[in-house]
Amino acid sequence: MSTRWYPIYQRGNPQLRVFLPNFWMKLIRPTEEQPPNVVTFSVSMEMTKYDVRSYLEKIYKLPVVDVRTRIALGETKKDQTYGYITKKDDVKLAYVTLPREESFVFPDFFSEKAEKQAQEEKSLDESKAGFRRFLDRNKKRPGTPGWFSI
Amino acid sequence: MSSTLIKCFNLAKTVGNATVKSFLAAPKQPWQACRKWVLARKRGQISHSAPHVQMPMQMHTSPVRRDLMEFFDDKKNWSENEVKVGRAWRTEELRIKSNKELHQLWFVLLKERNMLLTMEHECNDKMEVFPSPERIDKVKISMENLETVVRERNKAYHLLETGETGERPQKAVKNAFGLQVSYKSCEHALPPFMNLKWIKSRNIGFGGRAVNRFLLKYREKLYNAKRKAKNRSRNEVMMILRRNPNFDLNVLRRQFPDVNVDKLCNEDKIRGHYVPKVGV
Repeated sequence: MSTRWYPIYQRGNPQLRVFLPNFWMKLIRPTEEQPPNVVTFSVSMEMTKYDVRSYLEKIYKLPVVDVRTRIALGETKKDQTYGYITKKDDVKLAYVTLPREESFVFPDFFSEKAEKQAQEEKSLDESKAGFRRFLDRNKKRPGTPGWFSI
Repeated sequence: MSSTLIKCFNLAKTVGNATVKSFLAAPKQPWQACRKWVLARKRGQISHSAPHVQMPMQMHTSPVRRDLMEFFDDKKNWSENEVKVGRAWRTEELRIKSNKELHQLWFVLLKERNMLLTMEHECNDKMEVFPSPERIDKVKISMENLETVVRERNKAYHLLETGETGERPQKAVKNAFGLQVSYKSCEHALPPFMNLKWIKSRNIGFGGRAVNRFLLKYREKLYNAKRKAKNRSRNEVMMILRRNPNFDLNVLRRQFPDVNVDKLCNEDKIRGHYVPKVGV
């Protein structure tokens, strides 16, 4: 769409505006230790620092102090058997600094998952055991339905 | 999300549209409103929660959370194996919305997509299964449909005002290999006659002997593929007729439109290895 392209900036032109921005931003877990008010984002490759700032300020209403971006090189790997080289895509990372009093800790999503899974497995084991009991009981009279006896 | 809700309420007041009112009246809390917006649900579900709205004093709004937690899913979905959601927005549903509503919906969808991408990235990092990945596709479909509707309106407006579609202009040009490609024009700082670098880049052996030779072989390849496909289907029809002498010819004509079935019927090859019955 015509609104998707930034017009070439000429001096004195109005500010760049996009009607329906198609940029995406992912909040990712930082690999290195960061100050509590710095948040790491993985952003669309075509986003600039100003885009990141206005995206967060206008759409998410976040107070942004500073934005730094870099392009992380994708990993290059050589195939063990055939020797051809594959490369993962480059990603643009944005390090966004919030005001000093703000602090953000990346949440842990999967702390309760192990418990839940254990419970599910337990109930599954119980039902399996019940079915085995039923089979044992009906060993000498195969083909009888489940409601036939207690 | 409450600002969206308030905007919508204002909209409903001004427009006085019954459908908009019923649509907005359903959610009790802002997050519900958000969910309603994100994925269109069946009408039955919306009207099902409508009786709660009859007591306006009971409407409760929690303070909006405008922080970084908007990038993550609802806390109750964190350890789920499946998250149930509605379907994507359809074009015909979006066509009856106003421009303002579409603009609002775009940003809601944008936020939802960011949230889903964030969760997917984290799940991949932690070697966990991302619950209900089809949510991303649904949001994507909704966004595509929304864009289609906006483009339709844009086109109509431009045609009315200027007589042109207002789309990015395209033209067919030949690339360095002499093959035809469609080129989408874009803005340049310099006009073409001043852009010496571009003019030089155009003159790299295009139209020379190598290109002609390449084109000759390329076309031969295309022609051979076409010829072989034709022969293959012709042989197939012949073999079918040889094995099944009473085969329905109309089916063959429909199945193989590029084969002249009537002509093949007189061929010697379609006769099987048996003495034909005469006079039966």
